[in-house]
Amino acid sequence: MTDHVTLTIDERTVTVPKGTGLVETAQAAGIEIPVFCYEPRLGPPVGACRMCLVEIEGMPKLQAGCTLTAQEGMVVRTARTSPLASEGQNSTLEFILVNHPLDCPVCDKGGECPLQDLTFRYGPGNTRMTFDKRTQEKPIPLSPTIALDRERCILCYRCTRFSESVSEDNDLVPLNRGANTVIGTFEDQPYRSRFSGNVVELCPVGALTSTQYRFEARPWDIQESPSVCGLCPVGCNISATTREGKVKRIQSRNHPQIDEGWLCDKGRFTYGHLTAADRIKTPLLKGEAGFEPLEWDDALDQAETLLRAGGDTVVTAFSGTESTEQAYALGRLLRAGLGANGAVLPEEIPTALDAYRAPLSSIRDATTIVILTRDLVADRAPIVDLWVKAARRNGATILTEIPEEKLEDAVLISDNAAHAAWLAQDIDAKSAFYLPRTPNGRGVADAWSAAGDGEASNEEPRVVIVSGDDAAADPAVRALAAGADFVIGIGLFQESFEGLADLVLPATSYLERDGTTVNLEGRVQRQRRAVIAPCPDELAWISKLAERFEVEVSPHASLAFEEISGRIYGGVSFAEIGEQAPLPPAAEKGAPVPAPKPVQVPVADGLRVIRYRPLFSGPVVDRVPEVEFQKADHEVGMNPADARERGVIDGDMVTVNSRGNFHRFKARIVRDLPAGTVRLSTYAEGDLTEFVAVRK
Amino acid sequence: MSHKQVVMAGTDTRDLTKLAEYEAVGGYASLAKARTLGPEQITNELMASELRGRGGAFFPTGRKWSFVPSPEQNPNPHYLVINADESEPGSFKDNEIISRVPHRFIEGCLITAHAVLAKHVYVYIRGEYLGPYEILVAALEELKQRPDLRGDVTIVVHRGAGAYICGEETALLDSLEGKRGQPRTKPPFPAIAGLYASPTVVNNVETIATVPAIVEMGGAEYAKLGVPNSRGTRLISVSGHVERGGNYEVEPGISLKDLIFAPELGGGVPGGRAVKAVIPGGSSTVILTGDELDVGYDFDSLLAKNTAMGSAGVIVLDERVCMVQLGIRVSEFYEHESCGKCTPCREGTRWMTQILRKLEAGEATERELDLLLSVCDRINGKCLCPLGDTAAMAIASYVAKFRDEFVAHLDGGACPCGDHSPLDGVLAPVAQHIHDHASELVPA
Repeated sequence: MTDHVTLTIDERTVTVPKGTGLVETAQAAGIEIPVFCYEPRLGPPVGACRMCLVEIEGMPKLQAGCTLTAQEGMVVRTARTSPLASEGQNSTLEFILVNHPLDCPVCDKGGECPLQDLTFRYGPGNTRMTFDKRTQEKPIPLSPTIALDRERCILCYRCTRFSESVSEDNDLVPLNRGANTVIGTFEDQPYRSRFSGNVVELCPVGALTSTQYRFEARPWDIQESPSVCGLCPVGCNISATTREGKVKRIQSRNHPQIDEGWLCDKGRFTYGHLTAADRIKTPLLKGEAGFEPLEWDDALDQAETLLRAGGDTVVTAFSGTESTEQAYALGRLLRAGLGANGAVLPEEIPTALDAYRAPLSSIRDATTIVILTRDLVADRAPIVDLWVKAARRNGATILTEIPEEKLEDAVLISDNAAHAAWLAQDIDAKSAFYLPRTPNGRGVADAWSAAGDGEASNEEPRVVIVSGDDAAADPAVRALAAGADFVIGIGLFQESFEGLADLVLPATSYLERDGTTVNLEGRVQRQRRAVIAPCPDELAWISKLAERFEVEVSPHASLAFEEISGRIYGGVSFAEIGEQAPLPPAAEKGAPVPAPKPVQVPVADGLRVIRYRPLFSGPVVDRVPEVEFQKADHEVGMNPADARERGVIDGDMVTVNSRGNFHRFKARIVRDLPAGTVRLSTYAEGDLTEFVAVRK
Repeated sequence: MSHKQVVMAGTDTRDLTKLAEYEAVGGYASLAKARTLGPEQITNELMASELRGRGGAFFPTGRKWSFVPSPEQNPNPHYLVINADESEPGSFKDNEIISRVPHRFIEGCLITAHAVLAKHVYVYIRGEYLGPYEILVAALEELKQRPDLRGDVTIVVHRGAGAYICGEETALLDSLEGKRGQPRTKPPFPAIAGLYASPTVVNNVETIATVPAIVEMGGAEYAKLGVPNSRGTRLISVSGHVERGGNYEVEPGISLKDLIFAPELGGGVPGGRAVKAVIPGGSSTVILTGDELDVGYDFDSLLAKNTAMGSAGVIVLDERVCMVQLGIRVSEFYEHESCGKCTPCREGTRWMTQILRKLEAGEATERELDLLLSVCDRINGKCLCPLGDTAAMAIASYVAKFRDEFVAHLDGGACPCGDHSPLDGVLAPVAQHIHDHASELVPA
C-alpha cells in the first residue's frame, strides 16, 4: 500500500493514509495527543502552545506533534509511554497556568473547558508560582456580543488566525509582544465581522465569551438540541443550548459539507427574538383600538368564516421562513378544502439546476468560481462566502462577469435561478448554486406543489393570507393585501401586522418546531424543537381548521413529512434524514434551457444604485439590540476606481444625493462592485432614486 | 602577531565604501569570475570551502544552497534574503562589515543570487543600524550606474523595526512579508517554502561577504584557513571589560585567552583585574569561567566545553561582576524580546526574571534557586524557536558555574557585590531596548 504509511505510537501499530496529521493518526490508534492551538480548519498548524509535545525516535528534542504528519516507520511516544513527553506537557500546562487567573468557579467555560480537562489529565497538581499574577483590565467588550478576558487568554492565536485566514476580516490581532501580548482590535474598535461569534466557540478557555450567555448557565444544567438554522438558505447545522425551557445560546454542529463548523453572527446571536416584546402569543383580532386577543375557539371560527368568504379566491403569500410541513398543511387546507390554488411563492427554482447539484464544500476545491449576484454572497448566504474565500486561498480564480467560453471545472454562484439554469448549461459548469432570498423558499415551493394541483382563480382575491413576518414587510405583498376584503396574518411579531391584517394567528420560530427545510443545495434537513413555543404549533391549529373543511391534515410534522416525501422526495423518512442530512445525488442533465431575456441596464448620469438586503436586517434582527452595531444601513458601498476618482477612502463620510435629496453615509470600498455603481441597503433612505451623485 | 584578513581585507589602507576604491583592490572581479561559472560550480566551491553560516547556527552554506529546488521542481521565483538583523547582545560584526566593506557584501549578494538563481535580493537590516543602512544604500546607488555589475538582479534593503526575534530566519521572512514577526514551524524550511512561500536562501551578512574571497581563491584554498569544522576567518566582536573592545578578524582555533589578552586584540582587562567569566558567542551561549580560557575559539573546542561560537560575540566579565545581576540583565532581555508565540518562552522567561530579581533582593530560599533551574529545564528543548531554549541554557549555566555566588544571595543574604557590580559595557540594559519615540509620535 503505497498510499498508506504504517507507524508506531506508544507501541501500537497504526496504518493511515499518507499525509495524515500525527494528532489524527494517534486518534486512529485510540491515543490522545492533547492540543490547544491546533485546529486544522484554521490553516496550517502553528505549533504555538506546545501542548502536543511528543517524543519521536531519532529526534533529540521533543516535537510539536500537531506540526508533523505520519511517516512510514515513525516511532512516536506520547505522554502515556514517554516520561520526557509527559514532562514536556506538564511543563506547558505549568507555564500556561502561571498567569492564568484560575477563576473557574465564575468562568462560563468552567465545566466545558479544554484547559480544565487537559490540566486534570496532564497538568501539575499544584502551583509553584509565588509571584503576583499578571493582571489586566477585564472583561473588555470586544463588541456588544463578545467579551474578552485577557487574563484567561492562553494566546493560542485561534481567534486571530480565524480572523486572518477564515473570515479574512483581519480585525482581530495580537497586540504587543512576549508576556505582554494581548488579543485586540485596532484602536479598540468593536470587532465587527459577520462571523465574529465563531471565535467564542474556537476559544479553548474562557477568554472570549458571549455577552448573551455570560453567567446564564453552567454546563451541567443545560441541554443541547441538534437542529438547523432557519435564518438563511444555507441551513447551517446548529446546536441550541437550552436551560429551563429557554434558549441560552446557539453553537455550531459541524456539518462538513455545509458549514464546516462555522456560523454567521445572525444565526448565532439573534435567538433573542423568541422573547421579543411584541411576540404574538394568542390570536389577535383587529378591533377599534388595535388588535385584541381572542380565544382560540373564537379565532378558528373567525378564520373559518373569513376563508369561506374568500373561497377559491384566497391567495397565500409565503415568507419562505415556514417549515416545509407548515406550508404543506396550509396548502392542503386551502387547495383541497377551498380549491384556493393562488399563492405568492418566494422562490421559483427550475429543476434543470438539480443536474448541477453539489455539496457546498465542493466550492473549496474549485479552480474557477463565477459569482453573479447583486447582493454580496456574504449577505445572502454568509457561509458560502467562507467557502469562496477558502477556494481563493487555494488559488481559485473568481470571476464576477459572465465568462465568454466554456469553463469545465467552474462553479457558478448566482442569485437569479432562471439565468443560472441556462448559464450552467451554456458554460458547461461543474456545479451551480442558486442563492435563494429566503431560508426555506425551496421547501415551501415543494410543499405547495405537493399539496395539490389546479389553477389559481382569475378573480381578485377576497382574502389574502400573509404567512410570516417577512411577507408582511414585502411591499408587493402589502399591495396585494390592500386590494383584498380581509387579510389573515400568521406571524411572530405584532408590529409586522399592524394596519395590515384583520385576524392574526401566532406562529412558531424555527427554534420552536419540528419539521424540515430545504437548503440552497437542495438538501432536506430536520429542525428540532429546542424550546416550547408560547403558542400552539401551527400544525395543531391548521389541522383543527382543516377538519372544518373536511380535509385531513396531520398535526404531527413526521406524518406530514411522510406524505410530502412520498410525493416528491422519493419516500425518504424523517429518521433517514438524521442529524447530518445527506445530499441527494445530482439529477441527470435534461433538455436545453432557453436563454433568458437580457436585462436592460438603464444608463444615466451619476452612479447607479444597487439596493441590497444586508445580512443584519429583517424582523428577527430588528428585535435583538445586541446586533444593532452590525447593521450597515448608513454605509454606501463604492467601487475602488469610483472612490479614487472622488478622493474617497474607506471609512470617509460622503454625501449621496439625487433630485435634491441629500444624505450622509460612511463609504465602504467594495472590490467586487462593478464600476459605475454604488451599493445601498434596501433600508437606506428611500427618497434616493436609481442614479445618484457621490462626493466627499 | 598579524592575522589573515578575508572579509575586511584592504580596509586598513583604503576607504572601501567607494566603488572605485573597491574596484582598485580587485573588487567585483570575483563576480565577473562567478558569472563565467555555472551556479552548480559556485555551490561546489562553497562546499569545498567548508564555509559555515556566520549567523550563529553554523550550517554549511554550500549545502544550504544545494537544497534550493530547480525551477523545474518549483516554478516560483527564487529569493535571496540577507539576515542583517544583527541583534544578539554582544555581536556587532555585521554592522562593521556593512559600514566598511559594503561593496564586498553586495558582490557576495550578486554572486550568491547567481548561484541560487535569484533575481531578487532582500537585505533585512536591523532598524537601529541607521549608519550602516545609509552606507549600504549609498553603495547601491553607485551600483545603479553600473548595469554591467548589477545585471538583472534587484537588491532591496528593508529596515527592521527593533525586534530581536526577527533575526530568526522565519520570523524575519514573516516580518518581510509585512506580517507580525514570529517564527514559523519548520519544516517547510525556507529553501523549499520561504519568502512568499517560494524557495529562499537566507544567509548572514558575514557569510555573504566571505563568498567573493572563496570564489577568488577557490574553495580548497579557503579551507586551508582555520581548523577542522571551523574554516576560514571569523570576525569576532570583543566587548565588556577589555581594554580594546571591537571587531577582530582572526582564524578560528586561536585561544580565547589570546583573543582577550593579545595586545593587538582585546588588550587585557582594564586595571589588571582578573577575568571572572566570559560569554563566548553572544548572550545566548553558555558561560565560561575565568579558569576555562585556555580553549580554542572554534566550533569543536567550544562544543567540548558545552558552549558555542554563536554569532562570535565575546563578552568579558571581570571579577567585580555579580552573576545574579548579569542573570537579570540577560533574562530581562529575553523576556522583553520573546515574541509571545510559544508558551514556554513567553511565560518562562518572565518567570525566570521574577525569580532572579527575588534572588538579587536576598528574599529567595534554596527552594527558589532549585525552582529557577527547574524553570530553565522546563523551557529548554520545548520552544518553537531557539530564543527560549538558549535563554534558559544561558541562565542555567550561570547557576551551574557560579552556584556559590547564587547561594550567597539566599535567605536574606542579599547581593554580596551590592552596588559595586559594574555591568557598564556588558550588554545593554533592557531599558535601552524600549523605544519611547513610538508613544511620542502617537499622542495618547
